[in-house]
Amino acid sequence: MKRRLMVLLGLLVVASLVLSACAPAPGGGAPAAEEPAAEAPAAAEQPSSGLGDLPRNETLIADILTGRVGSPDDFNNWVGWKWRDRGMQNLANEPLWSVDFATGEIINGLASGDPVYNDDFTQVTIPLREGVTWSDGEPFTSADVVFTVETLMAHEGFGDNTFFVENVKSVSAPDEYTVAFELNQPNSRFHTKFLDRWGCTWIMPKHIWESVEDPVTFKFNPFVGTGPYKLHSFDPSGFWTIWEKRADWDKSPTGMMFGEPKPTYIVFQNFADEGAKILAQLTHQADVLGVSSDGLQAVLQQCDTCRAYRRDWPYVVNNDPAQTGITFNTAKAPYDSKDVRWALLLAIDIADYMGIAVDGTGALSPVHIPSLSNYPDDFIKPMIPWLEEFTLDIGNGETFQPFDVNASQRIVEYAKGRGHEVSDDPAELGNLFGYGWYKYAPDVAEKLLVKNGFSKNADGKWLLPDGTPWQIACLSGTQAVNHDFRNCAAAVQAWKRFGIDASQYPSEANSSLNATGDFDVSGNWPAQEPWGAGPDLYRVLDWWNSGYIKPLGETTSGHPSRWSSPEMDAVIEKLRNTDPTDYQAVVDVGIEGLKIAIEEMPGIPTYGYVGFVTWDEQYWTNWPGAENPYTQPYTHWGPFKYMTPFLEPTGAE
Amino acid sequence: MKVFRDLLRDYRFFFGFWILVLMLVFASLSLFSPYDPGLWGEVPRDMRPSAEYWLGTDSNGQDIFWIATFAVRNSLTIALIAGLVSRLIAVTVGMVAGYLGGKSDRALMFVSDSLLVIPLFLMIVMLAMLIRDSMGVVSLGLLLAIFGWAWDARLIRSQILSLREREFTKTAVLSGTGTMRLVLNEYMPYSTPLIFSTLINNMAWAIGLEITLAILGLLDTSVPTLGTMLYWAISYQAVLLGRWWWVLTPIVLSILLFVALYWLSVSISEYLDPRRRIQRVGVG
Amino acid sequence: MFVRRYLIPRFIQYILVIFVGITAVFFIPRLLPNDPVLRTISELRARGATLEPGAMDKIIADLTQMYGLEGSMLDQYGAFWARLLRGDLGVSFFQFPTPVSALIGTALPWTAGLLLTTTILAWVIGNVLGAFAGYYSASRWSQGIDAVAMVIRPMPYYIFAFALLLLFAYAIRWFPVSGGAKLGMQPSYSWPFIQSVLWHSFLPALSIVILGMAVWFQTMKLVVQSVVGESYVQYARLGGVTERKIVTRYVFRNALLPQITGLALSLGLIFSGALITEIVFSYPGLGTLLYRAIINGDYNLIMGITVFSIFAITTIVLIVDLLYPLFDPRIRYS
Repeated sequence: MKRRLMVLLGLLVVASLVLSACAPAPGGGAPAAEEPAAEAPAAAEQPSSGLGDLPRNETLIADILTGRVGSPDDFNNWVGWKWRDRGMQNLANEPLWSVDFATGEIINGLASGDPVYNDDFTQVTIPLREGVTWSDGEPFTSADVVFTVETLMAHEGFGDNTFFVENVKSVSAPDEYTVAFELNQPNSRFHTKFLDRWGCTWIMPKHIWESVEDPVTFKFNPFVGTGPYKLHSFDPSGFWTIWEKRADWDKSPTGMMFGEPKPTYIVFQNFADEGAKILAQLTHQADVLGVSSDGLQAVLQQCDTCRAYRRDWPYVVNNDPAQTGITFNTAKAPYDSKDVRWALLLAIDIADYMGIAVDGTGALSPVHIPSLSNYPDDFIKPMIPWLEEFTLDIGNGETFQPFDVNASQRIVEYAKGRGHEVSDDPAELGNLFGYGWYKYAPDVAEKLLVKNGFSKNADGKWLLPDGTPWQIACLSGTQAVNHDFRNCAAAVQAWKRFGIDASQYPSEANSSLNATGDFDVSGNWPAQEPWGAGPDLYRVLDWWNSGYIKPLGETTSGHPSRWSSPEMDAVIEKLRNTDPTDYQAVVDVGIEGLKIAIEEMPGIPTYGYVGFVTWDEQYWTNWPGAENPYTQPYTHWGPFKYMTPFLEPTGAE
Repeated sequence: MKVFRDLLRDYRFFFGFWILVLMLVFASLSLFSPYDPGLWGEVPRDMRPSAEYWLGTDSNGQDIFWIATFAVRNSLTIALIAGLVSRLIAVTVGMVAGYLGGKSDRALMFVSDSLLVIPLFLMIVMLAMLIRDSMGVVSLGLLLAIFGWAWDARLIRSQILSLREREFTKTAVLSGTGTMRLVLNEYMPYSTPLIFSTLINNMAWAIGLEITLAILGLLDTSVPTLGTMLYWAISYQAVLLGRWWWVLTPIVLSILLFVALYWLSVSISEYLDPRRRIQRVGVG
Repeated sequence: MFVRRYLIPRFIQYILVIFVGITAVFFIPRLLPNDPVLRTISELRARGATLEPGAMDKIIADLTQMYGLEGSMLDQYGAFWARLLRGDLGVSFFQFPTPVSALIGTALPWTAGLLLTTTILAWVIGNVLGAFAGYYSASRWSQGIDAVAMVIRPMPYYIFAFALLLLFAYAIRWFPVSGGAKLGMQPSYSWPFIQSVLWHSFLPALSIVILGMAVWFQTMKLVVQSVVGESYVQYARLGGVTERKIVTRYVFRNALLPQITGLALSLGLIFSGALITEIVFSYPGLGTLLYRAIINGDYNLIMGITVFSIFAITTIVLIVDLLYPLFDPRIRYS
């Protein structure tokens, strides 16, 4: 009896110790506890209505591309990553300008026209749209823009702080609807900082931010913007955010330009798994989804009211302005040799490659920009004669012309072999499959390698010049449906068949490893994504600037390939001094840059990013499909707000 | 041989044994595979089971029957390494700690508790990321073994604790039986069922965790295992696209593996259990 | 006597285990290739921000300072303990500047609610069924349940959960496809919200209970089977003790011992969440939070969740150790 008593006593002691230790812990102690406590009343004030209260046929439900929101009560997009595609950039915020890659247009948002530079690009004035109000009713004026830039320059915690401090000497408002910048040094592309291509610098409402003590930690909840929608409510766990059409939608640039948005409510919802996401659409609980290739097939098979971007095969969105492919780490041997890089390219049978990567659904591009928008007409087609003449020196006095104008036709044959119906219209074929690529020439690849001291062992496996086996690990992310993984998978198959010990190296640290150069070959895009509209390739070429390269192990500011050349530097310099509004001049400099990139091949451009969008027409129709691409088709891009006035409700119950 | 014939009389041992033999034969067929498991597009994609492709083909253009032979071989290797190595540690630690008690008990339990309290999943995910380059079948098995013994060591220890208090321990100690002999001769028979059941639990856990890690994309997906087969099937939405042959193959194989292991262990431990044997002999 | 010879050393061990566990989890993430500063920069760059070369060094320096990652690892370690002892878990890097305690505070009720219920439910049902099945191991129903458990247990959890979803949310539309509560509903203690949560957590709970039950059932069945064969049970039977008493006093009580340790550990593991459940059912909770923290190298968040988890497991194990003598009178602390 005595013993048991002792045990109980001991337990009591422990329990009380545990309790006293535990009690402050969940609250997080004194300093941390203040934050949630201060936010709690704000959350409680929100109307707590379920979707039962939102009429389904006036509500549009889309998924969040970048996943569950980690900090749902924080809308301060000027600091760090805030999941801005949950409705912030695509509904509630209006930028000065937006890129629409489907139409190739630059859409004026808060700006009313193009920026005007002086002759040496040290001054720029921007005209602003009149009559716009913030979603809380206050008017938008040039004072907001000036305030934004000055605030960003005053606090180091803002992501854009360095850019503005380095570039801006002064900013002023000559009148209510004009902003004028004095720049520290000539910069002909200063205004692109405000051009929304999946993100840019947004304008802050001065009347809210001017009274904020610490703008870096300010949560900006609720979000106040000039877009046609305003915040309705959000899930504290980050699974959904609901936006409501502004009563004064006609005071937003969207309303002024395109009329009244149709959905009263727009829900951005996250699904942690693609399976459940698809089931939600099959049961009409989601209107627009981004899915995988096979997910798209599953939806089309089982949902009568669902459609894809294209009504027929290949169904996919192939006008996303990103060129996928393979990146070589040119700071590491043997990938520092352009012959080796070209050999690895020629070891690829592009028809096989495309079959493995995307079942033949992508558009090929032989250059480092995708085959979409104005790019084929401005760049790719004019470059074809040069490409056909382009010659490689493969040793022993032999030469080889690698370009194959019929490569795209081989993809068409692959698709027909898979039983798909493919149109015979050459214009449509060019649009779907591109305008040629490179020959499959393992024999030439072999000569190039032998020329550089490589050899094959008795088993037919390649050895490096120092006699050790050649191993390639292709670095990518871990999602098998993403294009960096697809490109690696296809390249690994091609190189294995060529006799190299190649393997896939998926890693969660993918982006960091790319940035620090801790890889040989990766599925990273072979060049920086272009704007997706207009003739300017500055965004692509400047990433190969030699000034950005850091030693291996440090984060590079340029492209992960760490490739540069004096010739390319000269082209970049030339582009900097070219007026961005002089169309043909900008195109010509761009072509010069692309030619250098082809000769040096720092990365292999393969196919343009293939997107998979499914639309349910149960509640909403008139989606911007391939037959009527009035705007870009995604809900996560900024111009989604310009799609909302064109959607048609079906009124279905 | 008599032991074996005795055991075979138990239907559970009979089926367990033959299923396992079948699985081993199946796994060793991988040595004769006409296809390199690292190459895709060797056969047409997404074919239903047919005379030519017994279990159909997957969306990577691989023959599911032959991939499955590699998968069983690799998964079984992982589970065996994890199970046996962790048993070795768990039994040693559990018995020593339980029997000796005092300082050695405290020291050993300190080590195992420290391992137990660190969230296992966190550690395995982090270590899998750390040694990703060299993550093969053997290293995964060892990784799981290192984290798989602590719980069972506790179970075994508590059983020994209770055995230690019993009459026969005192009798044995008084009559001068050595520690080793006491533990091996007197305790082992009692502990064997527990050891076997923890072995099976552990192997099932290892197979399950391998599948989880693979589904999350943390393993080398080009090495076929039951987990990576499922990883690909899930990535390619095989369930919703009705490609049942692709999803069911790894599931049925893992169920068969488990059933065989479970029945074998139950049957063997009953056979080894001294009291049960008396019953059995009495009945038979 | 008991306090000095058992309780105090045991308590020192308790503190030491917590210390070692937390220390290990502090250092291991910092050895991984995932650098949180690089991760943040890559994320921003992937989202379209171009960073000038001069800007890059400055941003790296700024972030390193903001994240409190300056100085040697030992300095950071010291600072970490200083902070932790004040009860401050710091801010999340990836969800900067949200405090870790706020993130855990949002996720914990979901995880605790779902997993406490399902763990205990699975344990109780599995053990009761297992105990009877073990005692009457020769009967047909016992073998029947065993066969079912045997098939369910090795089922990959993801597939099992998705099959439930397919069946009950798509084929028969009884339960919702995803989420922790109805779309648009704010957490509160109101009945409609609780109702919605129960309805949404039914499938996740069912999937965990069924698979968990199968494991407890089989373990318990084997243990009971072996206890039934023990001499003291046989003696009791010969001595004319009633069947009921044999079952409750001798068999179940002894068989429960290892199961209680098991339950304790499962309860402790709750705090690292149920990742795959959360993925399949888009359910809020700690599992995803932790997994994302690992992938993003969000050290403070990893530490925050782990500190909770380590504390929970050690405490529960300690309690079980102290309770052991109450269940098994043969064990003495001497």
